[in-house]
Amino acid sequence: MTQSPANREVQALLDVAIDAVIIIDQRGTIESFNPAAEKMFGYGSEEILGSNVSLLMPEPDRSAHDSYIARYLGSGIPRILGIGREVAACRKDGSIIPVALAVGRIRDSDPARFVGFLHDLTIRRHAAEEQQHMRDRMSRVSHLATLGEMAGAIAHEINQPLAAISNYALACQRLLKRTDPAIAEIQDALQRISGQALRAAGIIRRVRSLVRARAPNCEPCDVNALIQEVSALIRSEARLQGVELSLEFAEGLPPVEVDGIQIQQVLLNLIHNSIEALTTVADGERRVTVRTAKTTPDELTISVIDSGPGVDPQLAGRIFEPFCTTKEQGTGLGLAISKSIIEAHRGRLLHLPNRPSGACFLVRLPVVDRAR
Amino acid sequence: MKPAQPPSSLVLVVDDDEAVRGSLKLLLKSAGLTACAYPSAAEFLAAHDDGQPGCLLLDIRMPGMSGLELQDELNRRGAIIPIIFITGHADVPMAVEAMRRGAMDFLQKPFRDEDLINRVTRALARDRHNRAQLEARDTIRGRLARLTPRELQVLRLLAAGKSNKQMAGDLGVSQRTVEIHRAHLMHKTEATSVAQLVRMLLVAER
Repeated sequence: MTQSPANREVQALLDVAIDAVIIIDQRGTIESFNPAAEKMFGYGSEEILGSNVSLLMPEPDRSAHDSYIARYLGSGIPRILGIGREVAACRKDGSIIPVALAVGRIRDSDPARFVGFLHDLTIRRHAAEEQQHMRDRMSRVSHLATLGEMAGAIAHEINQPLAAISNYALACQRLLKRTDPAIAEIQDALQRISGQALRAAGIIRRVRSLVRARAPNCEPCDVNALIQEVSALIRSEARLQGVELSLEFAEGLPPVEVDGIQIQQVLLNLIHNSIEALTTVADGERRVTVRTAKTTPDELTISVIDSGPGVDPQLAGRIFEPFCTTKEQGTGLGLAISKSIIEAHRGRLLHLPNRPSGACFLVRLPVVDRAR
Repeated sequence: MKPAQPPSSLVLVVDDDEAVRGSLKLLLKSAGLTACAYPSAAEFLAAHDDGQPGCLLLDIRMPGMSGLELQDELNRRGAIIPIIFITGHADVPMAVEAMRRGAMDFLQKPFRDEDLINRVTRALARDRHNRAQLEARDTIRGRLARLTPRELQVLRLLAAGKSNKQMAGDLGVSQRTVEIHRAHLMHKTEATSVAQLVRMLLVAER
């Protein structure tokens, strides 16, 4: 079939259109079915041409469609024509998808012919769901982000039995100074002291198991994507402190099998530490760099590097120990918890001094073993 | 051993933590103080009698009604009991707020026994002083209530430093009548001097 240049242009438009374009005659018979329509519905054009367009609709529209056209042709009152609305479409495999439909009558066509544009809304729906999913994830991360707050709550919990122990011990000393000490009362207080010491130990045990007990929810993750999310969370804090946060991603990294939230928690903690360390550094010199690299065939390394004063060499050997802190408000738990999280992932958390100054923390994670 | 306070003063403890509560009670007891402890603000309020001399040791952080909320409620009720807040190390800003609202003191736990006992002793002394003052005021108000309106008028003029002659002029009566009013005033208020009488008026109107 030879085509005029105008026809060829129309054909090109139909072929490249992202939306499905379907042309029908006044009986609803499909005359034209573009590639996007083929993709949307799963029919080849050769098998659908000549069929009634109602085939592409679920009930009740399928049975009623002929009457919609008849009514329009009789009364001139359109149902969808020229309005456009969201309708359900039925694919070849029977699945129903939401589409935005716009229908127009081809001008001066007699007998009437109609053209329909259909836009697949599932993609938009997915995007909305994806966004919601991302928001949920972010809120979980920011919930976990506050290791400091968690440590504060733990400190309060431990303080209670300590206060009680201290009070009981002081009371015993006073009672013993009396000429006729009430031994039974003192014995009772001593028993309570040991009970409260056990209570404090129980709280500490719970804290230790907090990280381990939450079974890591491991799945293959892209570390660059994890870092991207974390940086979105902490960027405003960085800006507030005049810190330049840069990300240097290696491309084509293999996935790592990790609990993304836990790894993000660690990264957030490390970046947060770096930002805090930079407060003593002159404006314009405050830099934090997060870098990813494949360091060995089966290991990835995430480095968090800052231009701060670095870790005091005298403390360097102890920074991962619980309750080792140089911060006035610190609990000394952040790095300890971070280390146990990374080790639970069969990885390693290391510290190196940065040159000329600053600290560098390395998170080494095993890559997914594809041979397995 | 001599008790640190007259037996009538009670140290009231409100803390939701059973161990902290029990240990505080024993520590206070070992210092010769009588304590009564409550596990919640609500239970304290249900049992509280503001006529009971003492002081309140109040945990700032409690589930349900917090220490600060209990303080508000007591302020609203016009309670006079002095409050010492017990705080954790992270609660300092809250403690500052409590002081701003009229708390007498705060203690960070764990604390040294001397710190607790010194503060409690001070609070009990303050409470006794406050109560004595209130009692004195009530006595004076009772005496002033015996005065006739005319006698009260004379008392106010007297407090304003007027002489008998000026008062007689102001009131449109003879100096002799003024003198009789003054004699009644002194008698009814049991005052021994005009200076004391004037002070009574000031106290009563406080």
